[in-house]
Amino acid sequence: MGLIEEVITIELPVGESFRIQRCRYAPKKEEGIKRISIVSGIHGDELEGQYVCFLLGQWLRSNPDKIRGIIDIYPAINSLGIDSITRSIPFYDVDLNRIFPGSKNDFLPAQIADGVVNVMRGSDFAIDIHSSNVFLREIPQVRIAKSQEEILVPLANLLNIDFVWVHDAVTVLESTFAHAMNTIGTKTLVVEMGVGMRLGKAYGHQLLDGLLNLMAHEGILDIEPLDVRMPIQSHVGEVAYLNAACPGLFVPAIEHCQVIEKGSVVGHIVSALSGEVMDEVIAPIGGMLFTIRAYPIVYEGSLLGRIFGKTNGDSQ
Amino acid sequence: MKRFDIVCLESPNRSPLRIEGFLFGEENTKGPSIAIVGAMSGDHINQLYVASGLVEYLRIKEEEGKISGRILVIPAVNAYALNMGEKNWPLDKTDLNMMFPGYAQGETTQRIASRLFGELKGYDYGIILEGRRDQGMCIPYVKLIQSGYEDLECVKDLGMGFVHYRPHEPVETAMLQYNWQLWETKAFSIVFGKNGSIDQNDTDQVHTAIVRFLSKRDILDFHVFEGHKSNILDPNRIIIVKASRAGIFISKVRCGTAIKKGEVIGVIMDALSGKKLEKMLSPCEGIVTCQYAHPLIFQNSIAFRIASVELCCQIDTKREEK
Ligand SMILES: [Zn+2]
Repeated sequence: MGLIEEVITIELPVGESFRIQRCRYAPKKEEGIKRISIVSGIHGDELEGQYVCFLLGQWLRSNPDKIRGIIDIYPAINSLGIDSITRSIPFYDVDLNRIFPGSKNDFLPAQIADGVVNVMRGSDFAIDIHSSNVFLREIPQVRIAKSQEEILVPLANLLNIDFVWVHDAVTVLESTFAHAMNTIGTKTLVVEMGVGMRLGKAYGHQLLDGLLNLMAHEGILDIEPLDVRMPIQSHVGEVAYLNAACPGLFVPAIEHCQVIEKGSVVGHIVSALSGEVMDEVIAPIGGMLFTIRAYPIVYEGSLLGRIFGKTNGDSQ
Repeated sequence: MKRFDIVCLESPNRSPLRIEGFLFGEENTKGPSIAIVGAMSGDHINQLYVASGLVEYLRIKEEEGKISGRILVIPAVNAYALNMGEKNWPLDKTDLNMMFPGYAQGETTQRIASRLFGELKGYDYGIILEGRRDQGMCIPYVKLIQSGYEDLECVKDLGMGFVHYRPHEPVETAMLQYNWQLWETKAFSIVFGKNGSIDQNDTDQVHTAIVRFLSKRDILDFHVFEGHKSNILDPNRIIIVKASRAGIFISKVRCGTAIKKGEVIGVIMDALSGKKLEKMLSPCEGIVTCQYAHPLIFQNSIAFRIASVELCCQIDTKREEK
């Protein structure tokens, strides 16, 4: 049985408090043990992480004797947003994941960020579960800034995900939860999977296995490591972006993320008004289509998909 | 005056998004050039108003033969948002002023930013009319971020009372001012007003300051009255008064008001019981530069920012001693 606590409370103007709740599982003896934070709902329209939190909580409730470390579950960071289909912090309309590490002396979103960092400070690990947004569907993947590659890739490989994407550092991303936590010594992985506003059961179970495996490796759970998949590593190839060439209605030709060949049809952009097919979207390289558009209305430039293809001549 | 489309982007169903520019002055002029960017956000109505007012003003001045440089005014970048009460790009909710320098092969708003930035590159001066990024309102002030390429001298020609001069934050590297400066345009922002509204005093002040700048920098051949000698502020010279409680917020002062230490500047009431929760007193003598502008306030929100006379004196004295 986990201990449910309200770890952040901020008074709202009219008879309510903003709150972040945590469910903590800990062994009887708490000294000298590792601590992990499972985090979801920094974006209020992303719900896959909620399901993972549920599955993990359910597992821990049935296996209390296996717990050797502190496991903190935070299903809803942007709790106002989760309960109202709002991605950003309502009222302020600020993306919480662009305001870290935050500050006590600043507006509500910054206070929330500051509170989150302080509550999780001291965790050895944090897993920040995102589910893309309402526009895109993603296969389970971990995204890592280049500067953190050495520390984080071995950890990501334990998570039973399909893809590890190491990307170049972007200054804007210095304002994310993951960056703030990595800076203070908490090894933090960002998982992206599924699509906003929806829940995919299979991905939830896949990541649950990954979390159990990671915790087994780190001695947080007293269980045998699981037999997990080895994710494809982004450094062995390149990512190709498919952006809409014209506005219209995107009709995918492929239902799920999958391996496709160069030149295959990913979908069509059609005109609902004239009945014409405006553009045929062709894969520029072969590889794994790890992102596909889920929301059909597109403008020029709208992202339709991302393909990871191994670099030419690579024998792997 | 030449009116033209800088961006024309087709939409799946609505009319195309057009970003229109208004260009003044001779094409081959030797005079300096300036670009002025208005509403990038759908709630920057003050900014839209100042920019469109400038277009009309400059049209007349051009007819009078008073334009000696080259001036581009872009009143509205995000007409789509303005036309539907949204703040950001209506489909994906991205903030256009977080997309710079843009990317021609990228997402829709990166492409818009890229085309816009392509047009803005190469100007000698760049003015960004900005609203606030929080729930506040403020006196008109110049925001100049330190990119390594900023020009503090030129902003003094606006003759505005306050220049906020400070290091840039990480998110600001994706904003227009920073990128414009990196491309060697002397770019700065004028931040003013309350989003979603028009304040006649503030907008008049900003209009006058811009005209003064144009005149002093030989872009407009027209005499103007002198403005203020600018006070250069940084975060160390500003005292913050926060709400210790959430509730209904009643301000007792206006932005720009000079206040004494201990003066009552605001009150917070319990929104249900009506009980007075907090009487907010000024911690110092100074000028209210900025205050919370929504009637409902959150716990720990910044209710007031006060430029402190004492802090400014202390810092300046220390500097002189060195
Ligand atoms: Zn997210």
